[in-house]
Amino acid sequence: MDLTYTAAEEEFRRELRTWLRANIPEEWTRPGFWEALDPDESFRLRRDWERDKAEAGFAGIAWPTEYGGRGGTAGMKAIYDEEMVRANAPRTVNALGLTFLAPTVMAIGTDAQKKEIIGPLLRNEVIWCQGFSEPGAGSDLAAISTRGVRDGDDFVVNGQKVWTTNAVHGDKIFTMVRTEPGSQRHRGISMLLIDMHQPGVDARPLKQMSGASEFGEVFFDDARVPAGECLGEIGEGWRTAMLLLSFERGASGIAQYTEFRRQYDEIAAVAKRLGRHRDPVVRGELARVLTELECLRLHAMHVLTQVEQGRDLGFEASMTKLQWSETYQDLWEVFDDLLGEDATLDSIDGLDLRPLHAQSMWSRSVTIWGGSSQVQRNVTAERVLGLPR
Amino acid sequence: MFFALTEDQREFDGAVRGYLADRFDLDAVRTVFEDTGGDGHPASLWKAAGEQGWLAVLVPEEHDGLGLGLVEAQVIARALGAGVAPGPWRSTVLAGEALRLAGSDEQKAAWLPRFAAGEAVGAFTLRGSAPGALPAVEYGAVADVVVARSGDGLTLVQGATATPRGSHDGTTRLADLDAATGEPLPGATAEVIDELAARATVLVAADLVGIAREAITRTVAYDRERQQFGVPVGSFQAIKHALADLHVGVTMAEHAALYAAHAVDERLADAPLAVSVAKAKASDVALQATGAMIQYHGGIGYTWEHEAHFFYKRAKRLAGQWGDADAHRVRIADLTLPA
Repeated sequence: MDLTYTAAEEEFRRELRTWLRANIPEEWTRPGFWEALDPDESFRLRRDWERDKAEAGFAGIAWPTEYGGRGGTAGMKAIYDEEMVRANAPRTVNALGLTFLAPTVMAIGTDAQKKEIIGPLLRNEVIWCQGFSEPGAGSDLAAISTRGVRDGDDFVVNGQKVWTTNAVHGDKIFTMVRTEPGSQRHRGISMLLIDMHQPGVDARPLKQMSGASEFGEVFFDDARVPAGECLGEIGEGWRTAMLLLSFERGASGIAQYTEFRRQYDEIAAVAKRLGRHRDPVVRGELARVLTELECLRLHAMHVLTQVEQGRDLGFEASMTKLQWSETYQDLWEVFDDLLGEDATLDSIDGLDLRPLHAQSMWSRSVTIWGGSSQVQRNVTAERVLGLPR
Repeated sequence: MFFALTEDQREFDGAVRGYLADRFDLDAVRTVFEDTGGDGHPASLWKAAGEQGWLAVLVPEEHDGLGLGLVEAQVIARALGAGVAPGPWRSTVLAGEALRLAGSDEQKAAWLPRFAAGEAVGAFTLRGSAPGALPAVEYGAVADVVVARSGDGLTLVQGATATPRGSHDGTTRLADLDAATGEPLPGATAEVIDELAARATVLVAADLVGIAREAITRTVAYDRERQQFGVPVGSFQAIKHALADLHVGVTMAEHAALYAAHAVDERLADAPLAVSVAKAKASDVALQATGAMIQYHGGIGYTWEHEAHFFYKRAKRLAGQWGDADAHRVRIADLTLPA
């Protein structure tokens, strides 16, 4: 058992901390700062900041240097994740591209794709969206009906995607398109890379229960996509998608713990301020959710160990998703519970509760997106425990 | 970063589990379980515990032990839990820990080598006070020596009068002791007593984790085969989802027990929190998993002839021992939410 990072990793932490201290304005760390900001302005600030960060050498930490990454260890990536949260750094605007697309392109992209996609992604010059979900295909991902019909060197794409993160700010979208007419389920799908700033592509914000619009809808109306803009083989998009989703695992659990723990501390501080922290029921509930958060931290260390040892976690990612998403939702239910009949008020005793409510509302989405909890339970039961379908 | 069992630790685990599977399976457990008048201390298992180093794990090398840590001890505790194994392994190990941490050189030399070899049985309790009544002590009737509280300190008692206490957990025997005055353990400070309680709590949490994992493994195996409505019951989503949640919960409890053992061994600052997290989580999942074991075996799971009740009853006892989940949540709140 060795729970420490190496000296080189700790040196990286010091270097990163120094950069973060110099490059995150004080006002950004004020509670509610980002929530109060105009969404377009917020996006611009975050994109520019991240470009600077990439130029300073703090992006693509565990990516190979040939792709502009730092060539670091899984431990360095974990430290990076942890320090971003600790410094109150803004959330990345290119999460889907960084987490899913880039490693997939490195694994199976053509040389041209590697050249065109990875560098600009790292510097945030191109913001990527993921076009998987459709109104008729959410958890049942293979039920997509967006279709691409071959016309010369192009595919002509028609259909609709939904729950698309950053739809309005996205520059390109990696999307699942049925390119073999009449094909069923997992067959005949291609992963097309589509320019969102072209005729025939229309992105609209989708207002959510939180009032924000992190997600949107994307409509394709005779959008033309060169056939070379296919990631993986044409017709083998399902295989590409499965490879892409396998990159969800990794060291992000440490960052999640750090972030959720900070939110837990905020909730505990509200309880104290309202004098509810003496209520044995509230104390018991907070202790229960803290127990789950500690388990999440330890699970993250387990995952990081497996990654560092080069082991394939495979379907264990479903367990990770279940633990963090259910715990996160639980955390915010505890917050609402401690407010009791004042649970919906915008403020209480001069304390602005709106940023906290925004988190609470957001917690309702995390057990749906990225594979709902119900899907993750099926995967865990069938693929990990071996129960029959 | 290395948060996992080492190869050596996994081999230790395999050795205990292998022995139980080959030489002390659930039929052997049943024999002990149903012998309500017996001492619950099967000689063959005890001999193996001595020969294979299970009892020597925490005893320092200078006293003929292996000098390993709580991480290794929790590996054994987990394997014994998975096998619902009877016998005074934990009580002897804890009595040895009390001597190691607080005993005089003479006390250590007198008892530790004998504990390590399986030549003497120890018992350990912090309930009651000697001289006087010590309630429901694990294997109190077969113990050659008992370490018990005496005022603010600890005392080593021999020759206590034992009255067996009935318990529906037939995998363990309990006895009320009437203890005479004993020899004080000179190093028994409040800190040492806290550490002993922490070590006991981790070993019980590990036993519970072993019970819980085995309960779902056996249930999954059964539900893959058992047909109802023409299909295996394990294909029903109601059952799948419950078992998936249990798998996640037990995995988290495994992490928690492992970390707690490490944190206590290394005296990490968050060791008290880690111990309570482990026990709260392990108590909860063991009760859930053994309850589910009965439920998802259907009617057979409720019968005496099926082994589900061994797991359920052992979990019931251990979930409450050294603080139940609620008590540990109170402690977690006290550690993290100052008034």
